[in-house]
Amino acid sequence: MSAIGNDIYVLCEARTDDFRPATYELLAAARGLTAAAGAETVAPGSDVPEGGGVTALVAGSDAALAGKLEGLAHRVVAITAPELTPFLADPWVEALGAVIAGGAPRAVLFGESGRTRELLPRLAARLGGWGLSNCVDLKRADGDAGALEVSRPVYGGKAYVANLVPADVLLLAAFRPHSFDANAAPGGLATVVEDVAAAVAASRVELLERAEGGPRKVDLTEAAVVVAGGRGMKGPENFGLLEDLAAALEGAVGYSRALVDAGLADHAFQVGKSGKTVSPTLYIAAGVSGAIHHVMGMDTAKVVVAINTDPSAPIFEYADYGVVGDAVQVLPALTERVRAVAK
Amino acid sequence: MKVVVLVKEVPDLEAAVKVTGGGSGLEVEKRRGLNFFDEIAVEAALKLKEAHGATVAAVSAAAGTGVEAMRRAVAMGVESPLLIDDATLEGADPLTIARALAAAVSLDGFDLILAGKQATDDEAGLVGPMVAEILGIACVTGVTTLEVADGVATVSREVEGGSEKLRVTLPALLTAEKGLYEPRVPGMAGTMKAMKVQIARTDLATLGVTAHPPLPVAGYRTVGARPPVTMIQGEPDDAAAELVRLLREEAKVL
Repeated sequence: MSAIGNDIYVLCEARTDDFRPATYELLAAARGLTAAAGAETVAPGSDVPEGGGVTALVAGSDAALAGKLEGLAHRVVAITAPELTPFLADPWVEALGAVIAGGAPRAVLFGESGRTRELLPRLAARLGGWGLSNCVDLKRADGDAGALEVSRPVYGGKAYVANLVPADVLLLAAFRPHSFDANAAPGGLATVVEDVAAAVAASRVELLERAEGGPRKVDLTEAAVVVAGGRGMKGPENFGLLEDLAAALEGAVGYSRALVDAGLADHAFQVGKSGKTVSPTLYIAAGVSGAIHHVMGMDTAKVVVAINTDPSAPIFEYADYGVVGDAVQVLPALTERVRAVAK
Repeated sequence: MKVVVLVKEVPDLEAAVKVTGGGSGLEVEKRRGLNFFDEIAVEAALKLKEAHGATVAAVSAAAGTGVEAMRRAVAMGVESPLLIDDATLEGADPLTIARALAAAVSLDGFDLILAGKQATDDEAGLVGPMVAEILGIACVTGVTTLEVADGVATVSREVEGGSEKLRVTLPALLTAEKGLYEPRVPGMAGTMKAMKVQIARTDLATLGVTAHPPLPVAGYRTVGARPPVTMIQGEPDDAAAELVRLLREEAKVL
């Protein structure tokens, strides 16, 4: 691969009619980093600043939304080919691999998602780059002007490790939702849009059918508020109470492993080590005991509320606010109060 | 059909983790076992053995660990365990691990490679798809159902907002999500066999693998403990009112 430049690429991922919040967060992080490197100086005749610019990669059907990135990146590369829609990893890896290899960026930032889990490792292997998942922070390293420092939790969040990324290394890193503030760096950049028609082979994996889950406004992993139910919810007849509070808070509902393993809730909505990892601003654990398995899926939440009948339940050790009581009774009261202040 | 399972030995979820030397090191309690998602992959391989007479091998790459994981895999029913044991693999980049595993599975050939969707220690999910890319075979991550017939695998996977059903011609690499199968608990015969099994060993030099140098570690830190919990008393309605007040005025998240 050619020498590494200073540009930072962000793979932008859309959901229906807009990009995922993570896309805007990552673009802001990239703008912050390139500004720190003196990217405001634009070389004559060049699209991107000498010190490194921000390139937004959009591919397949997501490319139709490229206009939404106006001002948020120096450059938008819109990659299209019939093989890229619907999403299948093979043609995406081939198309993105060619664009990244050609542009030789410093880093490619991804939001954590199922799609990223298919793409990032294969791109890292294909390009000989350095892949990292689950990251929560990225900044310029202290004392080493060229290096970046990237942090991520390990051992279920029991510790964090920070890695140095030397200047001559291609980093491919996936970040958890809410890792950055989408408004932390100003937009207003002059954005150049480049269209790339990718020549890629058809996927070796064939899509037979795609079933859409029910309509969900907010995805569990990227919701700002998560309301999670555990065994203390007693049974599915009470799950509506979780939905009601989540709706009032514009959040998503999750379930503990106990409910999933009992066949009462879908694994797609399980929070915990063997389910989803969430990192919301507010996490409300209703009738969840707080087994280590569960805590590992939510302990990077900013504020945690626990509701449990047992005052000695371990979940209270991981909570900021605790209510000792029956979640089935507390939830409706809480929903009512939340609705009252939301008005 | 030859099935190879990629496995990793990881610390138990309950293992204590301590940052040492003021952030320069990490000490993890030595309670180890087979990665949760790899157990599911082993189970899937054994189901193929039972249904189609597949042979089932397992391979792991680590520095000085992996025997516990291999014994568990053998106790479950894996026939040929191979351990790539090499000091270079201590703190190795995932791409080095993937190169080693790819070289090892190529030795005897394969029709299907299975792996867990991620390991429970770093939750990275990188090595499996990297192995597929290195070998130039198709890959599907996080499969929740698997059927193989006439050299073609039909799988399902959860995706954001739904699920999909996919078909892939072997050889391919699939990673297992929870729900694919419930891993079996080894019986007495399996456990006895695992205690006596000779685990084949190799290393990077023998496999002709060069390391992808790991990113330097800048430091480790523990999680900032939450301040002590504020307990809210009262009947449900009063407690709810007070909680909403605190979330608005103190935590400022509403």
